[in-house]
Amino acid sequence: MTGPLVEFDGVDKSFGDTQVLYDVDVDVDEGEVVVVIGPSGSGKSTLLRCANRLEEIQGGDIRLDGQSVIETDVNEIRQQIGMVFQSFNLFPHKTALENVALAPEKVKGEPEEEAKRAASDLLDRVGLADQAESYPGALSGGQQQRVAIARALAMEPRVMLFDEVTSALDPELVGEVLDVIEGLAADGMTMVLVTHEMGFAREVGDRIVLMADGRVVERTETRSFFDGPSTERGQQFLSRLL
Amino acid sequence: MRDRLVKRVGEVAAGGFVLAIGGLLAWILSTQVDYSLLASPLIARRFAEAFFLVIQIVVISSLLSVSLGVLVGLGRISTSNVTGRIAKGYVEFFRGTPLLFQLFVIYFGVPRLWATGEFPFTDWAIPAAIIGLTLNHGAYVGEAIRGGIDAVPNGQMEAARSLGMSRVMALRQVVLPQAWRNALAAIGNDQIILVKDTSLLTVIAVPEIMSVFRNINSNQLDPWTPLVWVCVLYLAITMSMSQLVNGLERRSDWGSDSRMFGRLSGLGSGDDDGGEEA
Ligand SMILES: Nc1ncnc2c1ncn2[C@@H]1O[C@H](COP(=O)(O)OP(=O)(O)OP(=O)(O)O)[C@@H](O)[C@H]1O
Ligand SMILES: [Mg+2]
Repeated sequence: MTGPLVEFDGVDKSFGDTQVLYDVDVDVDEGEVVVVIGPSGSGKSTLLRCANRLEEIQGGDIRLDGQSVIETDVNEIRQQIGMVFQSFNLFPHKTALENVALAPEKVKGEPEEEAKRAASDLLDRVGLADQAESYPGALSGGQQQRVAIARALAMEPRVMLFDEVTSALDPELVGEVLDVIEGLAADGMTMVLVTHEMGFAREVGDRIVLMADGRVVERTETRSFFDGPSTERGQQFLSRLL
Repeated sequence: MRDRLVKRVGEVAAGGFVLAIGGLLAWILSTQVDYSLLASPLIARRFAEAFFLVIQIVVISSLLSVSLGVLVGLGRISTSNVTGRIAKGYVEFFRGTPLLFQLFVIYFGVPRLWATGEFPFTDWAIPAAIIGLTLNHGAYVGEAIRGGIDAVPNGQMEAARSLGMSRVMALRQVVLPQAWRNALAAIGNDQIILVKDTSLLTVIAVPEIMSVFRNINSNQLDPWTPLVWVCVLYLAITMSMSQLVNGLERRSDWGSDSRMFGRLSGLGSGDDDGGEEA
């Protein structure tokens, strides 16, 4: 593969008459971690949701490994793009293990035994082997979010999207989830993550994309961003946080 | 201090009410009921026959109306405008007109659409009863199911679809099991009303429990004795029905997920969890 793994190419997105993304270009190379930051309402979530077509785009294109996601079958493309939400969205009527095994079984048609075994390995990987039989209602927020990550990984996606996955957590539970994401980064998983945790962004991010008012205003190496953003918007944003 | 006073007054009022009703009941049971008639095999046999007929009608109409209700509920949330409108129109009609009217249409009206002597059913009362109860309660169950689906957070569908599930698969695997749980209490209520609605079937000549009462009352000129039977029989069916619903509800209790919803409702940001508390 020569080009980037994920490529947002001049993406325009509107909800009715209000445009919320303007000509957004973002490239994500294989194995790279791109962190999207920006003020509330700048379009970060919308950008991620466009990538797996939870939202439809009005202009431009989004490509996965050179192939337009718009032109690919939607259920096909979503199997290759894992998504983790702020609000976990675990299936409350399924155990942790069933949450993870459901899609491999039903979507990929894996035999139940095999799907359960793989799910069990994944729960182990996020440190929840002992909670396999628990229902989401009995898990803490941090545990639920780790199950949600395992559930997305179970489809063996080529890229993972994380939308503020620690924002709904009590502060003492944030660490365990970030540790799991860091582990994925170390394993070379390609990831796009939206976060307000600047310390974490600095640690795992290879590149930072700063958004404001639906536009990308700065796109740089993580180190140089935190050393001093080149744009005024970037400097403003950072100074308000630090 | 005031709370305790209010509580005490409430207890006294409730106790007084129970005493008054209990006394009235005891008086009726001791002065009005003819116990040899009450226990006579003749009455017992006639009520038993009616009782088993009602149970058969209830079981069949229940199964059919719940199945129909699931379809109607799905129709209500269909992405197809046509299906959605048809389901809505159906619900409006069957909730908006009296069951008795619907039973008359089916029992008296429908056979007249055939030439005289051509109508294929000789005993139309029971089929008409089952059709009427099914169509009427299918509308209520449909609304309960739709409410149950609406109460499933939007994020559930999105999470399922994000894993590559089709809409139909996501509905089947993720949304409907939760919608069913949400709707169970409302469906149970409706099915208990269905049991009581069988009493209307007396006017389309179904030999159910109320017809037996009317018969005995006019022969013996004694309302209270057969009324005791009527009361016990209906309560036997409705109380087993609520037991069944309780059992089903307990079976689909997946732990304290109210806690999870509690956490989510604290978020309040306007993005992907916007539909959470709907
Ligand atoms: N379904 C929708 N319908 C209409 N407008 C929407 C919808 N979803 C998002 N928007 C609008 O799009 C803009 C971008 O929203 P988005 O959720 O992408 O921002 P964000 O950067 O993720 O913000 P936050 O940090 O608060 O999560 C906002 O102005 C928002 O009001
Ligand atoms: Mg957001």
